[in-house]
Amino acid sequence: MKHLNQTVLLIIIGFSLVCANCGKTSSDAISTELLPLEGNPLVCIKVVLNNGSADDPAGKEGLSALTFRMLSDGGSEQFTYKEISEKFYPMAAFVDMQIDKEMTVFSGTIHKDNLEEYYSLFKDMLLKPGFREEDFIRIKTNHLNFLQKTLVNNMDEQFGKEILNLMMYEEHPYGHTELGTVKSVKGLTLDDVKNHYENHFVQGNVTIGIAGGYPSEFPKKIVSDFSSLPQGSTPELTLPEQQPPDGLQFVIADKSTPATAISMGFPIPITKAHPDYFALWIAGSHFGEHRQHLSHLFQKIREERGQNYGDYAYIEHFIEGRGKFPETNYCRQQQYFSIWIRPLSNSNRHFVLRQAIRELKKLVQEGIPPERFELTKKYLVNYTKLYTQTLSERLGWHMDSTYYGYKSFLEEAHKQIPKVKIEEVNSAIKKYLNFKNLYIAVVTQDAESFKENLIANTPSPITYSNPNMPEDILTEDLIIQEFPLVVNPENVITAKASRFFQEPEIPEEKK
Amino acid sequence: MVKNLLAFGMTLSFLAFPLISSGSDVFPYDAKIEKLENGLTVVSVPMKNPHIISYYIIVRSGSRNEIEPGKSGFAHFFEHMMFKGTKNIPREQYDDFLTELGAGTNGYTSDDFTCYFVVFAGRENLEKVVKTEADRFINLYYDEEMLKTEAAVIEGEYYSSVSNPGRRIYETLRHKAFEKHSYKHTTLGYLKDIQDMPNQFEYSKLYKKRFYAPDNTILLVAGDYDHQELMELVQTYYSDWEPSGYTLKTPIEPPQEQAKRAHYEWPSSTTPRIAMAFHGPAFSDQDIDKAALDLLAQIGFSQSSPLYQRLVVEEQKCFVVYADFPDRRDPPLLTFNALVKNQEDLSYVEEEIFKELEHYKNELVSEDNLEDVKSNLKYSMARQLGTTDGTAGILAFYLNLTTDPSSINKLFDLYQKITPQDIQEMANKYFIKTNSTVVTLTGGEEK
Repeated sequence: MKHLNQTVLLIIIGFSLVCANCGKTSSDAISTELLPLEGNPLVCIKVVLNNGSADDPAGKEGLSALTFRMLSDGGSEQFTYKEISEKFYPMAAFVDMQIDKEMTVFSGTIHKDNLEEYYSLFKDMLLKPGFREEDFIRIKTNHLNFLQKTLVNNMDEQFGKEILNLMMYEEHPYGHTELGTVKSVKGLTLDDVKNHYENHFVQGNVTIGIAGGYPSEFPKKIVSDFSSLPQGSTPELTLPEQQPPDGLQFVIADKSTPATAISMGFPIPITKAHPDYFALWIAGSHFGEHRQHLSHLFQKIREERGQNYGDYAYIEHFIEGRGKFPETNYCRQQQYFSIWIRPLSNSNRHFVLRQAIRELKKLVQEGIPPERFELTKKYLVNYTKLYTQTLSERLGWHMDSTYYGYKSFLEEAHKQIPKVKIEEVNSAIKKYLNFKNLYIAVVTQDAESFKENLIANTPSPITYSNPNMPEDILTEDLIIQEFPLVVNPENVITAKASRFFQEPEIPEEKK
Repeated sequence: MVKNLLAFGMTLSFLAFPLISSGSDVFPYDAKIEKLENGLTVVSVPMKNPHIISYYIIVRSGSRNEIEPGKSGFAHFFEHMMFKGTKNIPREQYDDFLTELGAGTNGYTSDDFTCYFVVFAGRENLEKVVKTEADRFINLYYDEEMLKTEAAVIEGEYYSSVSNPGRRIYETLRHKAFEKHSYKHTTLGYLKDIQDMPNQFEYSKLYKKRFYAPDNTILLVAGDYDHQELMELVQTYYSDWEPSGYTLKTPIEPPQEQAKRAHYEWPSSTTPRIAMAFHGPAFSDQDIDKAALDLLAQIGFSQSSPLYQRLVVEEQKCFVVYADFPDRRDPPLLTFNALVKNQEDLSYVEEEIFKELEHYKNELVSEDNLEDVKSNLKYSMARQLGTTDGTAGILAFYLNLTTDPSSINKLFDLYQKITPQDIQEMANKYFIKTNSTVVTLTGGEEK
């Protein structure tokens, strides 16, 4: 892929490349975040490690995920995985593990009746892992199967999102899936895992969060236990410049499918820690709030035209948690803007792509409509009150608040959002969003013909089963179907779906 | 460095406190039940301190109600149409109302019911929600054009799952196993029926008349409000809703008399799968059949079970093995599923599942195992009841089955009474080879 050179890039994005107020602390000791809640019968424990897939050594992509999965899904020194499963079962307990680029979380919520027994197993799994060969083979095989079969054949929406990640973060520590590549995972050994654990599971990388009705002495005990980890911390992750796209850059994965999945976006230079975040949040929510009718894209593409199940936009990496709320503990120093077009009929792919980019253009050029601005502000203030219903959510948001430099991010949002002016939102839109330079990932059938149509800017009319579509929509369709997308042939890569994630690089069809 | 974040603020009190102790009810809240003259059942669970109100409307109509040919998927389709507004409150106004409220809102359709929910903060908003939702259900309005446009969305939703082989094997299994009952098709429906939905405007009106009526609906409210105030609002805004009086007669599924098999060839490389199903009993909080089988599913096929540990952890033939015994109003399929590493092991895994079932037909489970399962179910439920919305979500499901809010506690009381002999008896009653349907799915050539 072509990238702008770094000088041009700095002019365009003009921002500090590493989030100044976020990331790991400089402390070499364990951090804790406590949310005591007297009377609550549940206790939630989160052990957050300030390491993720961005810490994978070159050629060993997927090592962090494999290592940390060995803790949550493997045995301890004392007990096999089978024995742990049997002990957890009557408590309805387990250890959950999630890994992202810069953060890994081990967590569990347990009834206080069982806290002592659960915690005893939990701590041994993390502090005294068994690292058995049979667990290693099982988990490694699972990861390989996901990369080789599941991701490219059974989940096209996620496939598209992962291609977008590859495009945005080429030659960047974020630039591989958390599970790695087929080639790198095949090469990983149990010794790699043990070494990675020893080097990264150290006190300075660990934050322990506890919430709920735990005994008053519990935090001291858990800190004391985890103090058996080696002291120190791994060096702060220094990320290279983000690479904005030069024009419209496509990667099209070709597979046999009746539906096309599209994800597009570009890196942006702000995170929750930045003062402009709240203004851009309002813009993003209006334009594409996740799975809500508020989403303008949803209204235009699904509600007006029935093209697909949903269309959304995000101003940062988004993982759906309980309900449709954002999952916590996916903090990153660098973020990106993205649009997610859910699968739609192959025959309409060109039209909908045009429509989404045209709507983005209108957002950038015209800003947020005043009536939507006020509505979106009210929405965000009220909707975010629903974010913290479970212990895990409360603890997660508190830990994320600390990461981004807030006492409470949500409380700050409730204060700041009502104060944001429409001019600030429109200024943030113009500053951070654009419609001319986009990475666009597509999973579809007959990629070459789509490529030809893109390059030739072929008109893309669509038909409706409703013979009486409103006139204003049909009139707008005439504009959309010819909306010009400037696509240079060298900016379109096509490759068979099965060739993705074999190696870190984006595959390209050989001519 | 210890930071004690005691700035709880308002959000602290969002958490509900379910209690677990020997002798107490698993569902610990006081659920009040009342019925309006038009037949609308109202279940109210006022909870202390949560600041959140969960407002659920449970229409006892799901894909089970799609008994006519060509109408599969219609319950789900109609769920979408319910967001089209009324003449009083058009769609855009309804959307803006929910947006301004900052509500968590959606609908979902299952085999037996369709559920709509609005989760919001602040009891001062209760009347607006009652009024708006009542209007939506009583005065829903859409024209044929709106229906045709929404029908295309359903096809888009179908496409969202088209790359998921789990959905294909599930569809194939149900289609093969059932002969007459409407559980033969999935909630999403057959693609050919989805593609015909644009032509179903007239049927949609009939569907609404039959099923979207107070005598087929339960209103469930949980959270921070005054019960009496709620009931006054419900009386005010829901009393004009006309009952239907329609009685659904779902086809009786004849007993299966010979084992069935099917295979699905996935068009690209994928993980081989097997699903094995037996026709089982409907949900009951009185009869032991389903409750005993729930416990067997846990003992025999949960992550700590001997079979899982052998096939997944020790022999590593499978990525996962699990049982799915859903609670349904009519007899559903009891399904055993496995994702198998190598295609050549599919037969072996199938044999091992059958062997495991034979084991439970011939041997009594241990009392210790049984106690572990009862404990697991109890603590699993306690965790789900940890929030207002979690409580409402669980209760909504059981209300769909029986309309009785005490069904959860009745079911858990039933679990306590189940003996090893009961489990053995039910294994022998249902896990008969001629009552089985096996579907396999394997990957084909990459295209």
